[in-house]
Amino acid sequence: MPASTDQAIDYLPYKMRVEKITEETPDVTTLKLLFDDHQQAEKFTFKAGQFGLYSVFGYGEATFCIASSPTRKGYIECSVKRAGRVTQALHSLLEGDTIGFRGPYGNCFPVDEMKGRNILFVGGGIGLAPVRSVIWNCLDRRDEFGDITICYGARTVDDLVYKEELKEWEGRDDINTIFTVDPGGETPDWSGKVGFVPTVLGEAKISSDNAVCILCGPPIMIKFTLPVLVDTHGFAKENVITTLENRMKCGVGKCGRCNVGNKYVCKDGPVFTCAEIEEMPPEY
Amino acid sequence: MKEPEQKLVVPNGWLEALVRKLRVQGTRVLAPVERDGAVDFREINSADEMAANYVNTRVPLKEILFPRTETILEFDQPSGGDVVFSGVEANAAPTIVIGARPCDLSAIGVLDTVFNWDYHDTFYGQRRANTTFVGVACREADGNCFCGSVAGGAGENEGSDVFVRPTADGALLEIMTERGKKLAQSIDDAAPAAGKEEPLPVAATEERFDVEKIKGWLDDHFDDDFWLDVSLKCLGCGACSYLCPTCHCFDIVDESDWRGGERRRNWDCCSFALFTLHTSGHNPRPDQQSRCRNRLMHKFKYFVERFGRRACVGCGRCIRVCGAGQNIVNVLIDITRAEAATSGSA
Ligand SMILES: Cc1cc2nc3c(=O)[nH]c(=O)nc-3n(C[C@H](O)[C@H](O)[C@H](O)COP(=O)(O)OP(=O)(O)OC[C@H]3O[C@@H](n4cnc5c(N)ncnc54)[C@H](O)[C@@H]3O)c2cc1C
Ligand code: SF4
Ligand code: SF4
Ligand code: FES
Repeated sequence: MPASTDQAIDYLPYKMRVEKITEETPDVTTLKLLFDDHQQAEKFTFKAGQFGLYSVFGYGEATFCIASSPTRKGYIECSVKRAGRVTQALHSLLEGDTIGFRGPYGNCFPVDEMKGRNILFVGGGIGLAPVRSVIWNCLDRRDEFGDITICYGARTVDDLVYKEELKEWEGRDDINTIFTVDPGGETPDWSGKVGFVPTVLGEAKISSDNAVCILCGPPIMIKFTLPVLVDTHGFAKENVITTLENRMKCGVGKCGRCNVGNKYVCKDGPVFTCAEIEEMPPEY
Repeated sequence: MKEPEQKLVVPNGWLEALVRKLRVQGTRVLAPVERDGAVDFREINSADEMAANYVNTRVPLKEILFPRTETILEFDQPSGGDVVFSGVEANAAPTIVIGARPCDLSAIGVLDTVFNWDYHDTFYGQRRANTTFVGVACREADGNCFCGSVAGGAGENEGSDVFVRPTADGALLEIMTERGKKLAQSIDDAAPAAGKEEPLPVAATEERFDVEKIKGWLDDHFDDDFWLDVSLKCLGCGACSYLCPTCHCFDIVDESDWRGGERRRNWDCCSFALFTLHTSGHNPRPDQQSRCRNRLMHKFKYFVERFGRRACVGCGRCIRVCGAGQNIVNVLIDITRAEAATSGSA
């Protein structure tokens, strides 16, 4: 059981102002959010992998990871895929609008334990959002880590998120990048790979020596990527780290919605190793 | 059973006098009241409003600490994308609850754990701090009560601030907590117990199955056709969870018009199909079978692993209310039989 936080929870969010809206893809938008209250901004800290409950008043709350890096202070970002009621409302916001945010909740990626190790980041679609937080966290402390490889894929070129950052990462000589789109999703000037993430990853030269893999994407991608990591590249399941996205309401271990067996995804997760997930009943 | 801090004897009429005194002080008093054939906790001004004979209330105690719906914040949307919002105070007027049953008081222990194990829920906490529970031993049970199999039985005092054991000419009061001591100051004619008092016998709630066997079977039977059998008798209506004194799942929703509104939390239920549905359409518990399994596993396995106690107190409400005849006692008996059969053959 993780240590008790011993904090009071009254479900009252921070007041946030939408500073900047970036349309990543036809259905994903990134919001840069500033704290309305400067003192709150100064006190606020989080770790890569943590999430929050974002609310559009009148529409309700929805759960998203914090997609920006804890090394970038004074603001947070979230990338939202339009899917339902709250996500639609978030997509309709204008710069300057007010929303609510409460968090950070949940555990985090073990960034400090990753020091000195090689890191393979694997993301699919909007799943790059939590991975991006760790990527920038590591890049902002680049000399503490070994080789960094980023493997990212989306259905089509249009569906790739963080397009500017992908270019930046591709241009750096201290990162290996493998970017791919699903067959049929390429455009004439696409210079990356064409193929599903598991296939492309299977063909790549990757070493699991002293390495840890951070893997986030749709369940179907995770299902097919895990065997490639384990069987083809020799990763131990303890070294493949991912997130679960069970539906959440409270985020603080009370509402009973997110459980997988005796685990609360909102408290014990959302970050789990694939070895831990294998021990759970298959209710995620 | 816990050793009381103090034991007092009071003559008949003590309760009438206590309620009168509390009402004169302006204290809110809740007690079981019968209305339209149902007994529920309601505000009373005088002890004669209390139901004379009741096995238990229809709605459990949890509603007093954790209402079925409550506002957790309010907001206004003046114009130009700005929103003004603020928290609300929990409605936590000092309250004395009289006539609570041992099973329901034991369930408060489960809620205390949930609402405090990690973060401390302020709404629950404020009400809890301002509520004093006067429990009373059950003289009568019905065929659906099974506290004797899963909890302390009809004479259990744990969880009460003051526990009442009726006697032929009054009652023996067991003062269990500081809150109870404070309330006892308002009780007239109380004398220290001499130790010779004989409380009237409590209801017999004999053990109907060996509860220690349940978890062992659950540990090994996540995948089992048993759950399909159980689920065929479930409509997924959630009535069992709404009336369960330990069920605590909730939803958070906004209700508003174009100018403003409020955020509320409402009771919810893991038997509902939408409970775990992801927005993508994926559902980790896609059928009634997995949802019935979760409800039982949560009470008899997950909660035990996590917090060291069961989350069923044997109040029998889920049996009384279910329109489809689901009977948790029969389910538990079936499990203990299955466990006996497997451990016998092993
Ligand atoms: C830890 C965690 C991290 C996450 N991180 C991210 C992230 O970084 N980015 C991200 O995009 N997502 C993320 N998610 C998923 C995200 O939480 C959900 O997509 C989001 O909560 C959906 O909210 P919603 O209100 O828009 O959907 P809901 O409204 O709840 O939608 C539920 C379903 O109902 C349908 N529906 C909605 N409204 C209506 C209506 N009025 N009538 C009929 N049908 C309707 C929707 O189409 C959908 O199928 C994360 C989830 C978790 C648990
Ligand atoms: S009350 Fe009966 S039908 Fe309704 S959810 Fe509970 S077990 Fe199922
Ligand atoms: S599961 Fe049924 S018997 Fe057990 S505490 Fe809940 S309502 Fe009472
Ligand atoms: S989200 Fe409420 S318990 Fe996890």
